[in-house]
Amino acid sequence: MTNQKKTQSLPQLKKAIDELKRQFDIESKTDTKNLHNKYLGKKGLTNDLMKGLKNIPNEMRPLAGKLLNELKQNLEHQLELLGKNTNKTPANKIDLTIPGIKPNIGHVHPVSQAIKEITHIFEKIGFTRVRYPEVDWDYYVFESLNMPPNHPARDEWETFFVDSPQHDQMGKMVLTTHTSNGQVREMKRLKGKPPIRMINIARCYRRQQDATHTQMFHQFEGLVVDEGINIQHLKGTLDHFAEQFYGPGTKSRIRPFHFQFTEPSFEVDFSCHICHGTGKKGKTKCKFCKSGWHEAGGAGMVHPNVLKAGGIDPEKYTGFAFGWGIERTYTLKEGLNIDDIRLIYSGDLKFLEQF
Amino acid sequence: MNILIPHQWLLEHLETEATSKEIQKYLSLSGPSVEHIYQTEGEDVYDIEITTNRVDSMNVRGIAREAAVILNQAGIKATLKPLQIINKNSLQLTEELPLPKVFNNPEINKRTIFIVLKNIKRAPTPKWMAKRLTQTEMNIHDAAIDITNYVTHEIGHPIHAFDYDKLMNTGGEIHILEAKKGEKFTTLDGEDFETVGGEVVFKNGEGQIIDLPSIKGTANTSIDESTQNILLLAESIRADKVRFASMTHAIRTVAAQLMEKNVDPHLAESALLKATQLYQDLCQAKIGNKIFDDFSEETTPKPINISLQKINDYMGLEIQKEEIVKILTDLECKVEGKKTNTLKITPPTFRPDLIIPVDIIEEVARIYGYHNLPSKLMDTPIPTTYPKNLNFELEDKIKYFLSNIGWQEIYSYSLISEEIALQSGHSTNKHLKLQNPLTDDKVYLRRSLLASLEEIINNNPQQKNQSVFEIANTYQPQNEGKLPDEQLMLSLVSSASYRTVRGALEALLSQLFIPYIDIEIDQKLVKPFFQSATIITKNKLKESIKIGTIGILKSGKIGVEIPIIKLLKVANTHPTYQPIPKTMPIIEDLTFTLTKETTVGKVMTTIKNIDKLISSVELKDVYRRNHTFTIKYHDLKKNLSAADVEPLRKNTVRQIEKQYQAKLVGEV
Repeated sequence: MTNQKKTQSLPQLKKAIDELKRQFDIESKTDTKNLHNKYLGKKGLTNDLMKGLKNIPNEMRPLAGKLLNELKQNLEHQLELLGKNTNKTPANKIDLTIPGIKPNIGHVHPVSQAIKEITHIFEKIGFTRVRYPEVDWDYYVFESLNMPPNHPARDEWETFFVDSPQHDQMGKMVLTTHTSNGQVREMKRLKGKPPIRMINIARCYRRQQDATHTQMFHQFEGLVVDEGINIQHLKGTLDHFAEQFYGPGTKSRIRPFHFQFTEPSFEVDFSCHICHGTGKKGKTKCKFCKSGWHEAGGAGMVHPNVLKAGGIDPEKYTGFAFGWGIERTYTLKEGLNIDDIRLIYSGDLKFLEQF
Repeated sequence: MNILIPHQWLLEHLETEATSKEIQKYLSLSGPSVEHIYQTEGEDVYDIEITTNRVDSMNVRGIAREAAVILNQAGIKATLKPLQIINKNSLQLTEELPLPKVFNNPEINKRTIFIVLKNIKRAPTPKWMAKRLTQTEMNIHDAAIDITNYVTHEIGHPIHAFDYDKLMNTGGEIHILEAKKGEKFTTLDGEDFETVGGEVVFKNGEGQIIDLPSIKGTANTSIDESTQNILLLAESIRADKVRFASMTHAIRTVAAQLMEKNVDPHLAESALLKATQLYQDLCQAKIGNKIFDDFSEETTPKPINISLQKINDYMGLEIQKEEIVKILTDLECKVEGKKTNTLKITPPTFRPDLIIPVDIIEEVARIYGYHNLPSKLMDTPIPTTYPKNLNFELEDKIKYFLSNIGWQEIYSYSLISEEIALQSGHSTNKHLKLQNPLTDDKVYLRRSLLASLEEIINNNPQQKNQSVFEIANTYQPQNEGKLPDEQLMLSLVSSASYRTVRGALEALLSQLFIPYIDIEIDQKLVKPFFQSATIITKNKLKESIKIGTIGILKSGKIGVEIPIIKLLKVANTHPTYQPIPKTMPIIEDLTFTLTKETTVGKVMTTIKNIDKLISSVELKDVYRRNHTFTIKYHDLKKNLSAADVEPLRKNTVRQIEKQYQAKLVGEV
């Protein structure tokens, strides 16, 4: 008598299923070769039970079907596990040279990637990332940074002004020409109480446009203020960045410069990763750099007047600040080869999809 | 400002064995940056960037002075040669000519110095001078004109050659005063100007402007081909006044760019004597009168007191006092208090940039050599007062998740054109506008990112179903006297279907562990959407929070706008764990034919609300008007039987058919 004859009701079916499971358990421990056919094949035991479904009363049939489906899934699962335990080889070889099917992925913008990397490098040495206005008052962008109105030093910044009434104390509304507006804002946020170790990254704007300048760009600004901060600490911070961002062996260098809001002020260079600061590639001149070094940005010891504007006593505290363009810093990376900075904001997907 | 200094000209002032490469290297490390060495006329020419505070170095003599100190410190012998100029007492007067009368205002002009040179023989510029003018990219005229430019470049103080006879013919008076508004003058190159008031000018006795001092000469007194006698003059107008006039009229001559930066008035005499000597040598000039010099305010620089400790604090090491004194003395500072721990330093007159103690620290440190200082990290405490309402990790998570599921991140300009501004749905006068835009396409500060992103999709037609996003500020104008509200916005725009975009959004929100997401159709038009719905989530207190908008833009693309600050309020760093159910659900599909007017979301909500055992309803498939829903029945306490589910199913079908005039496909 086949199983289908035995299963005239739901209890009978359940009993048959239990029996079948027990049988499978025993057989699977000894002979695993023909189990699939025997239990799940067309003429297998499970199918045999399926055929018996028609004998089960109508109202019980859906549940019976469900039980059988569960049985089938259960057996399939167990067989699969058994298959994994034996050193079975797949039936057919596949063509391993056939190309893959790539998932559709987008790309994080190179500026975001650079910002993330830079943030991480500074967070490692205790800097806190902050965010300050991109449209700000003249006071924070210039005046509090030791640049009174009409000071010639302001010429260096091609400033965009917002067509809006002037504020009595704060002056004109401008697009931030640098992230240095964050300096006095950060000092005020901390109520003039060091320690300060800030990294401020934001969009900046200058009224200029060519292959190396876009009207909008990004800067990152570091500010450290505490007792006993000196020029060596700035050098240490810059060396840490150089090594982390451009790779082992990269050095930084500071040279005299002038900014109104730092004293002394420095120009920051990084050693060229192509010629390692020598300016030479074999016997020829290195084509990538100016005499072994790349000018990257500005830095300096915070001017006493800036500390005062932020409510910090310059007799007690000293500090350093640095700031430069993300795009310039990023495009100096080895092998990146972006020669026109305008591409970055072109929204050209053929460019962006490479990142 | 960059200045060109020919090596040979430099060596007239500097005695050294240093090669031009060495000069480039050491000047750049401790002084002004030598950016290039060009080969011009067969000689090395330095291209040197001079910072605005160091007008004393914007000339050959000044660079020689810096180089002498810096090269010695680097171990290369160098000496500044004495300035080769004639002694003013040795000037031989012949047949005296009368001097113009000067009416000065010492408030606006510190010094007026001039000499009359007569019987000028016009001669071509000699070759040696022409070569140097070429090397420094100056125009060549004739000797009488070029001498003034040459001397300015060498000594650093501009001088102006007046036509003596023209000047005397207008009355022989020089009134130095501020112009009123609306006074007219014509510069020596024939351009007409009108004063705005406040420019310092020279006027004659009749009130006519006869010079725009320190900026440019005027046609009525400048030398021309017929000039025979010259009044060679140098003045010292207040720097801010020079800058004001030069900027106002956009006359940016070399003279103006120097004089607006506080040139040392003491240099005026050297410049005048050097030029006189050249006029004698090259134009056979005779001296028409002794030097007139009105130096009304010969102030000496204020001394600066600085403790040795402060210098060491900034440099992070101890330098010997003798070394500090030597460096400052080499830089021509007067150093007193050598026996105490505080030095009193009086800078030379050509260094008006040295005012406060840190200025002195800079001098000591740069000459000592920044490259000679060690490098180390701070050992001070790390601040722990963190800013509020910022979560850069969340922003990064959004960026990386969206890009991983196929969305391209964009950085577009915050400045937009009128056309793009209008697409935000706000009129242009409701946008912040630039006073001085550079280009027409970047005039307004944007209030929405959507139009910028749509433009980018339109500009990249090669891709089908393009999906892009950006996280950037929008700038919402506020009342007068307030900065704009900078709202950091997450915006998505896609040419894919609404379901695709909504699915991506739901996936994103679930990545941020926001457990509940729903939408509510907006009854009112939300700018700039054509049709939109509000995205609703719940916070920890289970309160509904509206976080943003999803909808169709006028172009037919799908857009999403969510302020990051709203996401911050509902996003979580982790989920609330739900125990894994021990019971099995029953899952089945039901297909309804819905009328055109029926909204699927509402149908699903109705099904979901029929019984609490219905744990989820999903739209599985849509074929024409047939919608197949996958319904999950789940009781966490027991395994449901077919019998348990049957009444729920029947009820569902009945209600949907009744409420929505729908028709079940198949039978229950």
